[in-house]
Amino acid sequence: MIKGRYDDENLKWIPVLILAVYLLPFMIKGATFSYKYYLYVLNIAGIYMILTVGLDLLSGFTGLMSLGHAAFLAIGAYTSAILVDQAGLPFELSLIITPIIVGLFGFVIGFPALRIEGMYLGLTTMGFGFIVKRLIIAFRDWTGGSAGLQVSKATLFGFTVSNDWNNYFMIYTFAIIAIIVARRIVKSKLGRAFMAIRDSEQAAQASGINIAKYKMLSFFISGMFAGFAGVLFAHTSNFISTDHFDILLSIYFIVMVLVGGVGSIYGAVLGTLFIVLMENMFIPLFKDSLTQYVHLEAGDFQVFIFGLIMLLFIIFQPLGLYGMWLKMRIYWKLFPFNPRKRFT
Amino acid sequence: MKRTVSIIIITALIWMGCENRTTSPGVTDTEILVGNIQDLSGPIKELGLLIPAGTNMYLDYINAQGGVHGRQVKMVVEDHGYNPQKAVVAAKKLVEKDQVFCLYNVIGTSPAEAIRPILEESGVPLVAPGTNSSSMSDMSKQAAKYIFHTDAGYDLQTRVLIEYILENNPDAKIGLAYQDDDYGANALKGCAEAEAKHGVTVQKESFQRGATDFVGQTMNFMKGGCTDVIIGGIVREPVTIMKTAQAIGYSAAFYGLGPTVDPRVGLLAGEAGEGFIAVYWAYYPYSDEPGPVLYQELCEKNNVPAKMRGLYHYYGFATAHVLVEGLRKAGKYPTRERMMKGLETLHNWDSGVFPPMTFSRNDHAGVESVILLQLQGGKQVAITDWRN
Repeated sequence: MIKGRYDDENLKWIPVLILAVYLLPFMIKGATFSYKYYLYVLNIAGIYMILTVGLDLLSGFTGLMSLGHAAFLAIGAYTSAILVDQAGLPFELSLIITPIIVGLFGFVIGFPALRIEGMYLGLTTMGFGFIVKRLIIAFRDWTGGSAGLQVSKATLFGFTVSNDWNNYFMIYTFAIIAIIVARRIVKSKLGRAFMAIRDSEQAAQASGINIAKYKMLSFFISGMFAGFAGVLFAHTSNFISTDHFDILLSIYFIVMVLVGGVGSIYGAVLGTLFIVLMENMFIPLFKDSLTQYVHLEAGDFQVFIFGLIMLLFIIFQPLGLYGMWLKMRIYWKLFPFNPRKRFT
Repeated sequence: MKRTVSIIIITALIWMGCENRTTSPGVTDTEILVGNIQDLSGPIKELGLLIPAGTNMYLDYINAQGGVHGRQVKMVVEDHGYNPQKAVVAAKKLVEKDQVFCLYNVIGTSPAEAIRPILEESGVPLVAPGTNSSSMSDMSKQAAKYIFHTDAGYDLQTRVLIEYILENNPDAKIGLAYQDDDYGANALKGCAEAEAKHGVTVQKESFQRGATDFVGQTMNFMKGGCTDVIIGGIVREPVTIMKTAQAIGYSAAFYGLGPTVDPRVGLLAGEAGEGFIAVYWAYYPYSDEPGPVLYQELCEKNNVPAKMRGLYHYYGFATAHVLVEGLRKAGKYPTRERMMKGLETLHNWDSGVFPPMTFSRNDHAGVESVILLQLQGGKQVAITDWRN
């Protein structure tokens, strides 16, 4: 149902958008003195984008729920930290090996997905998240246990990515590549198989799609995206600890995909940007004035706002931000001959 | 030629005259801005309320007296929810966006560890990180020169406790219940030191952070015949362990590390907690030292509710002394460099809240001695002098 609308896209804007992404830091630097902070927030958004695009391939396109993506991110981050800092592998190699390792973890988690679905799969992946967290603490010789692990800065082809400025260009280059790859996957036979499974397993099977293979493949690919994000995450924040990769983070990722629009790559990107910017820039802006009217403790405020946003989106905009944008576009295209019913 | 020379001389004079007047970000003519990162939404959010309240009480007191060198000290508090990643974002925000002069009391070991790269990059000092882990004052670690740690480490606390137990009873069989994280790891380090030094073996039992059931651990201590048990917990752990021991008829002497000094331990454990000994590394809030006396006075004056007073509220009040002293030492035109140099000149500094404190270029561990407090009739009484 969503597919038809999402297919209608105008490719000539893509290069302009990519150019804008690369020009953005210069604009921010010109506009504000504290640009480093904004760049850091955008960097985190870029990393999460890679992950949510992968999560969307799994949840939005294949219809498999995952509450374990924070764990995939954690495995990626810790694997890269160990490979680069302890085994002495170059960062470029880690960028290739780590996603494959995390992908294999995804493959393993894919096994139960063959038999269970929906809520139960969510619970299984959630359990996986807890297991990973305990395992990271248990392997304290390599991971530093719950005290956390210091991670070196990334070195890409002899060039040390030493600050947020350089990091921005590295992360967004990879994010753009990830988005393009994801779009290619969606448009390929693979993507069509994923969507067929999502829409009806029986029908897919009847059409000759090997459900087991494609479900496992979906988990593998999604894991790879998360692993890739994990590598960048470890070397961007320079410190990783199990406290960060908890169930709440997995839920945040799902919120990002939901808000952006389930089943669209651009939706995942928009949703991630929206949630990360909301969390770090807009909520703090209104917090002081709003807490005068609503009595909430500072920490609860964010949870309150996120809960509200999610509810409102699920009720009023089930297609998410991207769906909203598409609706708007169609609305103006057809203006003034709008079938009223379609846009309310 | 004459003109050039005179211009150079005048420029040099102006430059020399101005040099000492340059200040770091966060300082205006009337105000110094300090950044604090607390847990306002995570597992220890009650502390996030108490500690800044205690700090602000002292800062208000200082500001009412005219501030530091005529500048009012103002503190911004950010939330990290006990998540190191969020601590990094919060620190970036404080340093880059709010432009604070220095950071103060970032609570939790992993959040404080996580912001080391930011300290290194921006050169912002961190005064009194809110953790007893001695890794904070390990001078071989990254950005160590920017961190001024006040609290005595868990390793030192554990060692002192073991030594105290062995002094009173050389044949004691000692047990240690430790949290399965960095807190526990630091306690184990001190335990290993004491084991090597005194040739004893300590029975160690671990528990997970946030655990509520300690029957297994208590039974193991009983089976192992432990006469003295050290509990590396916060409030729930010592209370539960002592109550469990009472219920199963196991009598041993119980001891606790720094965080267990909280008066709630005595309140909650009741009869089972009688005789419980905890280590502490500052003058106790209810003692007669000048710091605690001022604390009580200010609490009365500001009508601080009784349930807020106590260890953590006092902790904010106490560590604020070090912050203010650092700002004072930074001089009339404070820079971050001058503040760090100033703090490093403190030698046996008597703050009234801590035992004499010394910082130097190669030593950023503030308090290096502890005192033992025993619960007697529901009240905490000092039973030893300062030990290290």
